[in-house]
Amino acid sequence: MSRSQTQSTVAMLAPATGLIAVFIFVPMLLTIWLSFQSWSTETGFETARFIGVQNFIDIFSGSSIGRDFKSALVNTLIYTVFSVLLILPLSVLLGLLVHQKLAPGGVVLRTVLFSTYMVPMIAVALVFSKLYSPTEGPINQVLGWIGIPPQSWLSSPQTALGSIVILNVWQQVGYFTVLAVAGLTQIPEVLHEAARIDGAGSLRRFRSITLPLLGNTLLFSAVIAIINSVQVFEPVALITQGGPINATNVLTYHIRRVGIERAQGGLGSAMAVTLMLSLVIIITALFAFARPRDERPA
Amino acid sequence: MSIAAALPDSRPLERARRHLTPLAAGLTLLIIVVAVVAAFPLAWMILTSLKTPQETMHVPPVWLPATPSLDAYAKVAGVISIGRSFLNSAIIALVTTAAILVTSLMAGYAFAKYRFRYREALFALLIATMFLPPIVTLIPLYRIVGYLGLTGSLAGVVVPNLANAFGIFLMRQFIRGVPDELIEAARVDGASELRVLFQIVAPSVLPAIAALTLFAFVYHWNSYLWPLTVLQGSADQYPIVISLSRLLSYNRGAMNTGLVMAGATLAVLPPVVLFVLLQRFFVDSVISSGVKG
Repeated sequence: MSRSQTQSTVAMLAPATGLIAVFIFVPMLLTIWLSFQSWSTETGFETARFIGVQNFIDIFSGSSIGRDFKSALVNTLIYTVFSVLLILPLSVLLGLLVHQKLAPGGVVLRTVLFSTYMVPMIAVALVFSKLYSPTEGPINQVLGWIGIPPQSWLSSPQTALGSIVILNVWQQVGYFTVLAVAGLTQIPEVLHEAARIDGAGSLRRFRSITLPLLGNTLLFSAVIAIINSVQVFEPVALITQGGPINATNVLTYHIRRVGIERAQGGLGSAMAVTLMLSLVIIITALFAFARPRDERPA
Repeated sequence: MSIAAALPDSRPLERARRHLTPLAAGLTLLIIVVAVVAAFPLAWMILTSLKTPQETMHVPPVWLPATPSLDAYAKVAGVISIGRSFLNSAIIALVTTAAILVTSLMAGYAFAKYRFRYREALFALLIATMFLPPIVTLIPLYRIVGYLGLTGSLAGVVVPNLANAFGIFLMRQFIRGVPDELIEAARVDGASELRVLFQIVAPSVLPAIAALTLFAFVYHWNSYLWPLTVLQGSADQYPIVISLSRLLSYNRGAMNTGLVMAGATLAVLPPVVLFVLLQRFFVDSVISSGVKG
């Protein structure tokens, strides 16, 4: 009896756990191990040679290796911060718009917003590269109608990264809106009723009831938005190739260029480990920061 | 559940409604504006795919094609082998999705209904992989797939993606809700565990199966980084998302705009149509992964 139970447990878990172990856990441990090795991606793991923390010294040095990596790290940080700062408030506002019952159209809006999340990033990148076109693109035309001078968007180092943030927000915000709606649905209607009877206006109710009770949803959204943001790759690989002048050189693009295209597997792995550590630190800090907020009385 | 039930006394609601009529009108307008802005890039994509090359290069831009034509679509077929690319995408998306369904149902069932040592720890360990960006494992994974002799083949694209933590998580959430009595009854009748899972449990979590099917299909239809890395150079194995990039390098400059838009429209169609048909399940599962998770 107990033996057959053990057998079925192992049988049920083996396919998924085995695959995830071989194709996620083993590569993750190898990435950490390789970050201390000198290793060419073109050769077997047995050619790796231990060099201590030399890869980490190189990627933070003043050499061109270090400069390129540090620019990718900073660009990814800027990109992530702006994406999250735009996506979270927008998702709450759009969530309120979908969730409200005063005006019709909430469900239609949700469908339109969420369908953009289904569009392949590569198609998003292609379409926006044409929308952003300084002369033939409609965005500068529309801006012209309201008196804003034409922008150079993807072709200028000052605006290229911001342009990619905008296309990312456009693609992703629908998903986070659905998360926000889910959070809003969980807030008991009686709380709003009680506050209304006490004479609280809608802004006051939003600040004192909606926002605090959305705390967990927003924390979850922030974590997912950060993880998604560091994965930005397609617009950079396809449209800007990291340029102009390194302005859109982001980590996923840079690590692949170093570790796969230039086959510098050790250096690339050290960069990947740095990314992984940064994520652990940022997300831990986020949770530590969110905890006391949870306990603050509503 | 409904708003009417939550507010038994209709009088304050009516008063509120009379007060808020201008607000309701404003909200409706806002909803329309937001929907138009959100839909604009895709609308522009489709409209531009129907324009003549002269219209796509016109300054200022022409919004509506004077005589919509499908010429750009015909030209796409001349630049990339569109049928082959679609077939490759379909193979990648369908094989991965089918395997993810099976592996997720099995593991989800074990985590939901079996008691075993280290169950919660193992589950937490698996869930942690949901938060690992794929770039972190890309370099050694590329070499591992090379060892397996799968570089440059569709098998190389598919094999590392046959199981994932999100699927296990989703299935566990839903299978927990299946009554134990149902499972016990089937066991008493002598059904094997696999039979219990696929004939009793799976039919009672169909919404989750629909949601996971769609999520997995869309994710793997759209995925770019891994196929690009593992297929490098084997153009006949490219899925549509990689073939599209060749449209951009064809005739650089504004000349290719119609072509690029036509190709993008084709690539977007399968995931978006699937989503519109089955969005109910998507939304339910996002809610369950977000709120309960």
